Amino acid sequence: MDKFVVEATKSTPKICLNPVTHMHEISGESYPENCSTFYGPVFNWFKEYLVSAKGSAIKFSIDILYFNSSSSKAFMELFEMLDTAASSGTKIAVDWRYHEDNEVALECGEDFMEEVESVSFNLVSYS
Amino acid sequence: MDFCSQKQQFLQDNGVVFYFNGPVSQEVVEGIGDAVRTKLKHEDAGLSMIQRVFTILVEQMQNIIRYSTDRLADAEDGAETALGQIILGVDDEGGYFVSCGNKINSADTDKLQKKIEQVQHMDSDELKKFYKEMRRKDPDADSKGAGLGFIEMARKASAPLSFSIEPLDESSSFFAMKVKA
Repeated sequence: MDKFVVEATKSTPKICLNPVTHMHEISGESYPENCSTFYGPVFNWFKEYLVSAKGSAIKFSIDILYFNSSSSKAFMELFEMLDTAASSGTKIAVDWRYHEDNEVALECGEDFMEEVESVSFNLVSYS
Repeated sequence: MDFCSQKQQFLQDNGVVFYFNGPVSQEVVEGIGDAVRTKLKHEDAGLSMIQRVFTILVEQMQNIIRYSTDRLADAEDGAETALGQIILGVDDEGGYFVSCGNKINSADTDKLQKKIEQVQHMDSDELKKFYKEMRRKDPDADSKGAGLGFIEMARKASAPLSFSIEPLDESSSFFAMKVKA
């Protein structure tokens, strides 16, 4: 499997998914006009990856300054996918990173944390 | 009430910080978003307030792109442009509000009204529960987004969402919405 790399734009985040190190990163802002167009390829990559990475230890770093409601739905889909994989033996840890003054980003992280059962979800603040 | 008279009414108010009336595209959302962030930073609004205003602004402007019936021809790459207005202002109590206006099909009025009224008087726990429930569901067939916009705005608002829908002619109406951050 190849790496998946997309550079950030004003309204879409930087995405760097590495199937070798199992370290994945999403950072920036997310409010594209059409979320399914933007996140569709990411979901497809993950569907394939999660099968091949079964049993591995996967680390995720997410640092999103702002996302709109349709991106929130896309993230939920991603977390559902990760949670399913985590419930069948893949070790998945998510670091939800947020600036200590960014209450909105913290709340969003808490909302997602409450939605997953098998993924180890950590809220990590930075200054 | 048409665009022009609403514009005049708002410009007469002292509280207008930012006003836009014209074609809204994704590039416009990004540009106005930047301008508003810069303006609020300059006014020393805290990061949380800037985030709340920005959230409401983006949801409202993307609603215009998706649902305004006053549309410009879509670009070849599928990018959409539609006419609408956006106002950022300060109300009598010194709080920020974001207001939008656009044309809609009168036939969609009842559905739209019900959707907003449903979240208008929920408290924050009810909104959170409803948001999570809807986030896991497939959106309505007639929704072009995730179907979460009004709930998202209600969660970021410090007062109930207020709106009005007024008929313009036989088939179209003017939809306006004001959300206090």
